Amino acid sequence: MRGRKLDLVTIFMATLASLLLILPLLALFSKVPWGTLITRLGEPNSISAIRLSLWSSLLAALISVILGVPLAWVLARGNARVTNLLRPLVLAPMVLPPTVAGMALLALLGRKGLIGRYIYESTGWAMPFTTSAVVLTGVFVGMPFLALVAESTFRHLPRDQEDAAQLDRATPFVLFRKIAIPQARNGIATGAVLAWARALGEFGATMMFAGSLPGLTQTWPMQVYFAADQDMGTAYALSAGMALVAFLVVYGLRRQLRYAFSN
Amino acid sequence: MKPRLVAFAIALAITSTFSTPSVFASQALKSTKSLTLTIFAASSLAQTFTTMGKLFETKHPGVTIRFSFLASSTLAAQLTAGAPADIFASASEADMTLAKTRIGTSYLFAANRIILATLKGNAFHINKIVDLNKAGVKWIQCAHAVPCGMAADSALASDGRVKSKPVSLEPKVANAVAKLIAGEVDAAFIYHTDYVAHARGFREIRFKNQEAATTRYLVGLVSDGKQSTLAQSFVETLYSAAGRKVLAEAGFIKVSKVLK
Repeated sequence: MRGRKLDLVTIFMATLASLLLILPLLALFSKVPWGTLITRLGEPNSISAIRLSLWSSLLAALISVILGVPLAWVLARGNARVTNLLRPLVLAPMVLPPTVAGMALLALLGRKGLIGRYIYESTGWAMPFTTSAVVLTGVFVGMPFLALVAESTFRHLPRDQEDAAQLDRATPFVLFRKIAIPQARNGIATGAVLAWARALGEFGATMMFAGSLPGLTQTWPMQVYFAADQDMGTAYALSAGMALVAFLVVYGLRRQLRYAFSN
Repeated sequence: MKPRLVAFAIALAITSTFSTPSVFASQALKSTKSLTLTIFAASSLAQTFTTMGKLFETKHPGVTIRFSFLASSTLAAQLTAGAPADIFASASEADMTLAKTRIGTSYLFAANRIILATLKGNAFHINKIVDLNKAGVKWIQCAHAVPCGMAADSALASDGRVKSKPVSLEPKVANAVAKLIAGEVDAAFIYHTDYVAHARGFREIRFKNQEAATTRYLVGLVSDGKQSTLAQSFVETLYSAAGRKVLAEAGFIKVSKVLK
């Protein structure tokens, strides 16, 4: 597509905006100690943090898909009176500050939490300071993104196939499984990637709810935080890794992004 | 509808995911008419320095003090990265050394000891350091690079009997105290001064080897600080009778002023 003619003021502002967004990332990469990058990322604490972050965020994304897709379907096709109330409630974690999300999870599942208290009293187990707390935090902050995108996709599906299936007396479950989900797979995939990225980057809520222990709960972003106190080189190396993941996510979603913004 | 929603979701996901932790959150605010003194102080000094700051503000009308209370190691890293401050009060000599590019001379002004604190009436009946080995006990300490973590490591190494591992390494002592208060852990290695501040709810268990559990506090002027005269007089307050009293009441150990 050929570009439209643009005025200079707009171009100037857009250039400033682009620099503001691009320069910090370029600067980040300029600080990476390339010579010792592999050694730094190979430190036991770095490796365990990266590994923990990758698998726990993928698991969080998977749980988000398993639970979030049905939620999105309910939001898209359910009784509007219920869904209009439900939607803001389930999307709220998306705009919560991470520390507030951490407090909320502690309030529910901590040793003295609303539910956690009973679990702790009867089993002696509590979720804080476990890897499952890292995963749950990821689900809590990530699933809303999946629900939002998947619902929006469900809503905009052409109704003809659904109507035809309904005429053939397809059960609601078959309708959802065989008609809606296959058609919405792109939207679900986009939502899953967003939920995964959100879970991967979570820092404050995880630190509050899951604590920070190498190998068990210390995630990649936490490792950046701790490394910044001791060894900026390692902190930059770890940051560049995360920035690279960020870039890959946005690059992978470039079609969706263009579609989203060009309308 | 859909595009807007998707755009919103993508924007939110990306901004909130990759915003780095506020390691270098700058406290720079434009000073108005009044003079502003910026003090970076160890997390364990929060209550004491807040009290001291109020005393100082009363004595110096028109002066506003703003504090940043974080782990000394975090503050040292911020200073090295150029954070604007007038005074740095560190909970360890190591972190004062880390910030040496920004600090002229520094002085010893207090000492503190790491202790094991439990909540009164804890279900595991923790009465001795070695009780941390009991099955099911969850305990925390500060991260190894943070002064409260270094002191805990050295005290635990000297004790040598604790075989269990902490369930979390906290970024600063205030976080460890908060998790103990919340009851999420059974015990935490925090400072004696933290115990004094929460003596009603906490029980204190001391290490036999007090020296291994001790950390020393240094204060230094930031060499390019904008309020050096004011900063100097705040440092003097630490050694004044009133300052000494605030420190002693909080449970800090008195030391003589030594140039470091």
